[in-house]
Amino acid sequence: MKRNFLHIIVVAIICFLCQPLLAQEQNDNEPLMPGETPKPTKYVAVEQEDEYLVFFQGFTLSADVFGLLQYAISDYGALEAALRLNLKNTYFPIAEVGYGRCHTNDFNTKVQYKVNAPYLRLGFDYNVLKDKFQDNRLYLGLRYGISMFNYNISGPAMTDPIWGGSAAFDIDGINCTSHWGEVVFGAEVKIYRNFHMSWAVRYKREFSSTKSDYAKPSCIPGYGYTTKSNCWGGSYSLIFDLNWGKKKSHKRGVKVELIDVPSAETEVERFDNEETEEQEQKLNIEDTQANNETGNSANGADSNEGDSGEETQE
Amino acid sequence: MNKRKVKILLFLCALVSVLFVGCYSNNCPLNNIVTCNYSFYDAEGNAIIYTDTITVTTLKPGYKTVYVYRKLGEPTVTKNYQDIELVNQGYTETKMSQRNDTVLLNRAYDQSNISIPMSYFNNVDTLIFSYGQIALKDTIKIYHYSYPHVELPECGTYRFHTLRNIEASDAAIDHIEISNPQVGYEGNENVKIYFNGVIE
Repeated sequence: MKRNFLHIIVVAIICFLCQPLLAQEQNDNEPLMPGETPKPTKYVAVEQEDEYLVFFQGFTLSADVFGLLQYAISDYGALEAALRLNLKNTYFPIAEVGYGRCHTNDFNTKVQYKVNAPYLRLGFDYNVLKDKFQDNRLYLGLRYGISMFNYNISGPAMTDPIWGGSAAFDIDGINCTSHWGEVVFGAEVKIYRNFHMSWAVRYKREFSSTKSDYAKPSCIPGYGYTTKSNCWGGSYSLIFDLNWGKKKSHKRGVKVELIDVPSAETEVERFDNEETEEQEQKLNIEDTQANNETGNSANGADSNEGDSGEETQE
Repeated sequence: MNKRKVKILLFLCALVSVLFVGCYSNNCPLNNIVTCNYSFYDAEGNAIIYTDTITVTTLKPGYKTVYVYRKLGEPTVTKNYQDIELVNQGYTETKMSQRNDTVLLNRAYDQSNISIPMSYFNNVDTLIFSYGQIALKDTIKIYHYSYPHVELPECGTYRFHTLRNIEASDAAIDHIEISNPQVGYEGNENVKIYFNGVIE
């Protein structure tokens, strides 16, 4: 008996404690009374996680293998290294520094041309691939090249056919400064971890070169042969990403966007509108109910009168 | 990969190969004879066509040995070497010492300009202008500086000149002046010769 009594008391206390919660639920579900302001609905911010690339992605060092091979099989070659910045995996400002060497000895004319000089190219590449997150790239780029150099030219003895006499010539240290531009199209692929390789085709156009009475430079370090005012070139580079690992080389960020979060003013306006609409609806309902009640009462009176009549008739 | 894709790939490869393969050509100048170009004007500077014959001879230092062969009823033959066959034909041989001069332009007429080569290693060239209708001759002295010029190693070496000064006598020439001191193979006018008289 005592046990049952305690059990009832415990249940009663729990019900008493849970009463506010039940009341809250009931209040939420209950329709608003006239003059009562509704509580604002809770909007939960939805976090949309969108991966994006951090602006500075690091920088890379590269060496051109094509220039070395070119020197091995021809008279012209260059040793070239490049430092490239990676901005959002899309824009790649680049500085290419090299040392070009050209020793030509024409078989027919026996004219020798020698030049050893450094050169500099500045420009940028643009990754045209849509997916900027991947390690492979297809790029278009522009370069401006400059080289200040001294070249030597020498030739066999020249004989004057009319007045006679003969003398060879050997002119050293002809000073020259050349400017040129390049349009680059290439592809870059990942080999292993942070080692990449790339090939590129370069369309070069000579802007200007210092003129000399003796000879024009037949070969410009970094540009190539000047047989025409434009020429084609190429490069095959081995690239080393200075940022270790993929995570560092391709920094990804998480951009959080809050969606469907109305501002406080718009909420209040919306609540006011809802309130007025609900109040109007309630007033309409009350009016109709009142009308119905008055109509029913009148009908009831009539029926009562009829009944009474009947009663009276009876 | 279906056949259509293979065909497209082959076509692209062919297109790229056509674009990249071209005929080899160099930029060596077609007109590669270096001469000093003289234009003719009257005394007032009007361009003229000189109708008289002009022979230009240059003085060369030193002398040379020549062999002169004569035969009765036959024209005289002068040769720089000994010709035994002419002796066998009955010619008499005479060994002579002669100036080493050379004819650069032989009897040109109706010319408005002439092109004369220049020496490679002399600082002064002396030209003798002989005319058909004037007994006197004119002497032109050209002071110049010569230097080798290489357009491209495959084109060979040329000798360009820079004119420094020019002088002329006054037999048929009124005066003379340098119009362009750079003498190359471009064919530009380098010297203006003003002859006596005015065109009517």
